[in-house]
Amino acid sequence: MLQLVLFNLFNGLIIGAFYVLTALGLSMILNLSNVINFAHGNFLALGGYLAYVLIPYIGFWPALVVSPLLTAVLGFVVERTMIRRIYGRDPIYSLLLTFGLAFMIQDGCRYIWGVNGLPLTTPASISQPLSQEFFFLTGYRLFVVGIVIVAVAALFAFLRYTRMGMRIRAGVLDLDTVSALGINVRLLRSLNFAFGIFLAGLAGVLAGGQIGLNPNMGDDLLLPSFVAIIVGGMGSLVGTLLGGLLIGVAAAITTIFYASASQAVIYVIMAVVLLARPRGLLGEEGLQ
Amino acid sequence: MNAIEIEGLHTYYGKSHILHGVSLTVEEGRLTTLLGRNGAGKTTTMRSVMGLTPAREGTVRIFGRETTRWPSFRIAALGVGYVPEGRRIFPNLSVEENLKVPLERPGPWSIPRVYELFPRLQERKLNRGRQLSGGEQEMLSIARALLLNPRVLILDEPSQGLAPLIVRDVFRIVAEMRNEGISVLLVEQNVRMSLEIADYAYVLDDGMIVHAGPAAELARDEERIQSLAGATAEEWHEKEPAA
Repeated sequence: MLQLVLFNLFNGLIIGAFYVLTALGLSMILNLSNVINFAHGNFLALGGYLAYVLIPYIGFWPALVVSPLLTAVLGFVVERTMIRRIYGRDPIYSLLLTFGLAFMIQDGCRYIWGVNGLPLTTPASISQPLSQEFFFLTGYRLFVVGIVIVAVAALFAFLRYTRMGMRIRAGVLDLDTVSALGINVRLLRSLNFAFGIFLAGLAGVLAGGQIGLNPNMGDDLLLPSFVAIIVGGMGSLVGTLLGGLLIGVAAAITTIFYASASQAVIYVIMAVVLLARPRGLLGEEGLQ
Repeated sequence: MNAIEIEGLHTYYGKSHILHGVSLTVEEGRLTTLLGRNGAGKTTTMRSVMGLTPAREGTVRIFGRETTRWPSFRIAALGVGYVPEGRRIFPNLSVEENLKVPLERPGPWSIPRVYELFPRLQERKLNRGRQLSGGEQEMLSIARALLLNPRVLILDEPSQGLAPLIVRDVFRIVAEMRNEGISVLLVEQNVRMSLEIADYAYVLDDGMIVHAGPAAELARDEERIQSLAGATAEEWHEKEPAA
């Protein structure tokens, strides 16, 4: 029983880590650009596929960095050429645009790499179970958790200690004033978008190593990531972090007792949190 | 060269026509004040200068460059320090972080130097913006604009909501900035105090400039100062055919 509980807890942590990576990127983009990026899950898949292409040439470790970077560059271009045109317009435009992008990227992946799943080769050094008893503790899963911790810590340090991070945090509440202080807010938004997409690409590589690649691989992460943002509170990245871990672990623990409710429990948590705290766990006051 | 030159500005919010051909000039090295009651269009004029609410007609020239259609960050980068109405400090950032947001233009102003000017800010540097009093927020907003190392400083109602003693402080510092060689455009409702420190004054009403002249001259005109609070455009025009 202990093994079962630990197994599911750890599973929850892993899935929560994926929710966190995806949701943090979504959240950054939502906070500064007011765009709900429905193509986020597809950028995630793209990150995984790029790693698939790159690994034979440059190996796994460089690909772990280079594919998210390339995905981010693509995100930057997409923001500059398309997303920025709909800033300040009715939200319906951004929904339509990112929905369209989602289909284009997904079908693009299908066209290039086929509809069937593809394996992403991970180095043998991190693929072995660490012990017989705790068979679920493979090196790779620990590695995923480690990378997510590093990525999240780096993101928070960037936002907290660099001038650019401060400008992003300031811009979340008052972009006009940031602009009036001489900061190129167009570039700031593009770069912020690219950072969000970088996190998606990273999640894609990590997820690919665990469950393999397929064109829809991001879809299952997208909706829970929205839930993580709402549960955590809009505008608060720490909230998003907590929200992602909370629903990941809750879903996994539910699996022990009543497996078929493991997805439903995510939405139950959202409903309960919203009833008790309409702004979410750590939602900033006066955001609007 | 003039620091700011506005000519025939027409600005709208949606369909409402707010500015009806506003023209004014801020000469370099001087303190120019724009007076007027609530709703006269003072803030809209400043927002049009800063590119935040671009004018539909007319031109804005800053240090000789036509900036009418520029985004605000390009305008600010020319050396325009903006202290917006309501201060608009970043409530979720600490005082020190607020001071690190502006573009780092080269010049004499640095964080230690603004702390020298506003020791209170140094004491509170780790506090969040939202924890500051109104006066401290005003100081922070001015300090933030100074860190851009501006050649011209635009202040939109810095005295709003402040205790009289703090207002004195703020005006003293604004006057000091002019003495530092920074051109200043001061938008105010506090007529008497603004005229005390200003070189030149404009009065705006209903989106039109209804008076322009040396500040000292307007300061002597007690009748006009008293009527300023409640003056309408017609009353002004009766006293003085279009400036």
